Order: sequence, then C-alpha cells, then structure tokens
Amino acid sequence: MQIEQTFEIEEADLEECLKRGERVPHARRYRVRIDCETVKIETPHPTGEALLARVGKRPCAFELIEEFVHCENNVVEPGETVDLRKHGLKGFITAHKEIVTIFINDKPYQIERGERTVAQILSKVDETTEGYILLEEKNGPPLPLAPDIPVKICGCEIFHSQVQAGGSS
Amino acid sequence: MESPEHQLEELKRYCTKLKAVPEGGVTYLYLEQLRLPAGCTPAVCDGLLCPVARDGYPSRLFLSVQVSSPYTRNWNVSNARIAEKNWVAFSWKVELKDPTLARLLIAHLNGFTKEK
Repeated sequence: MQIEQTFEIEEADLEECLKRGERVPHARRYRVRIDCETVKIETPHPTGEALLARVGKRPCAFELIEEFVHCENNVVEPGETVDLRKHGLKGFITAHKEIVTIFINDKPYQIERGERTVAQILSKVDETTEGYILLEEKNGPPLPLAPDIPVKICGCEIFHSQVQAGGSS
Repeated sequence: MESPEHQLEELKRYCTKLKAVPEGGVTYLYLEQLRLPAGCTPAVCDGLLCPVARDGYPSRLFLSVQVSSPYTRNWNVSNARIAEKNWVAFSWKVELKDPTLARLLIAHLNGFTKEK
C-alpha cells in the first residue's frame, strides 16, 4: 500500500514564500493579500466568490484578479477555484466592474454602472414607468423611487417592481 | 393570497413597531416610525394605515406630520382624531385588487414620488 505523506504547517504566507523562492507548502491556513488587506484562508482551493467575500465584496459589483510575479494578471470568475499554492502567485486585487449585476424581482440583470433612470431599470423586466413603480431595497424595506430622479448603480442593488395603483384625487 | 400573519410580518419591516388599533368598527394599523421614500422630510414619522374604505377613498394612510416631498400634495385632512392622536393625510386614491398590506402601504407611499 502506497501512503502519500504530506507535511502540513500551521500557516503559510504566500508573499513570504515567494520572497524566499520557496513553493507554498501545504498548510492549515494561508495568508493571502487581497488589495491592501491580508486575510487567512482555510483551504488551498477557495473560489473567487469566497475570496471576494473575505474583503466584504461581491461578484455582482467586483471582479477578482490574481497577481503573479512578472506582472501577469488573471481574472478569476466567481465560481472558479483558485490554487493558492500555484507557483508565482503573489496575491489578489479587486476591481469595480463596469457592467454590474442588479437584482429585480429576485432575478439578476446586467447593467452599466453609473446613474441610470428608473425607466432604464424597469426596461430590464420589460416594464415601463407608466404601468409600474420601481422600489429599491436599501438598508431597509423596499421603498418607491421617483421616476425622474436618477438612480446610482454600483452593483448588487436590489429592486422590485409593483403595478402603479395610485393617483391624486 | 398571503396569510394575515405573513402580511403583518412584511409590514413590520417598514416601521419600528406595528400595532392593530380598533376604533369605530375599523382596525387601523399603527406604524411607529414609518420609513418614508427618499426625498421626504422627515425621513420617518408615525403612520396609521386604514386598509378599508373611509372618507370616499378605498383605503387611507394617515401620518403624524405633514411631509415635504418632491411633489406638492393636497393635504386635505388635518387633525383627524384617531386612536387618541391627531393625524394628517393627503388626497391619494389607491385602487388595487386584493393587495397585501405591504403593497397597499407602498402604493400610498408612492404618492410622495409620483407627480400625479
């Protein structure tokens, strides 16, 4: 019977290993730099989404980029698995996406970041301001938005639509 | 149709305290510190939702103060005495078939963000 022996240390620091020219060893935890933060990851194969979450970011607004020595960069998809022991991996940076994901009536939609009109947002679900109210759920319950005031889209915003049903009398 | 319990839970998200207030054969819903849409001053005030017909409207939303909003509203009720408090209301007719309480409230709050 063949037994594969792996020596595991408590914690491995990616950048330190790189400086010493050593391969990143098997470890219980990996110290990884994401932007200016150093985080501890408990698996050698986290997903892009999991790494983003460690710095309080989500794939609906941000992308994760692997940084290698010799200035090579590689975009990591949210569901993609990263090998933290990969040779030359320095750490990660995040970048705000230009095309972000918003959620309308619990479904994801792509939209350009920046100021958008209520009509532009409603058009994603084939609805118009004549027939529908757009509600935004932001730090609280869904509240109606004025159709003529631009809505700032950064990514991950949650909207709902509801049939127009009121009027001054 | 969602259960009355679920509807009340949904409504609770809009305020700090929700209380049913029976008066004159009507059960009003008292919404303490009701959150108002962006652009309203104040941003919160107490609300009283009347989910049944009253004063010629299918339903009404009473507020503890007159709210300033992007559009001028016709505040046609002042000092309505309900549940031992004075209330104000603007003229806003909501016509929704079998709405949930939250949808009814949203339709009234939309009066602050809609021109007509």
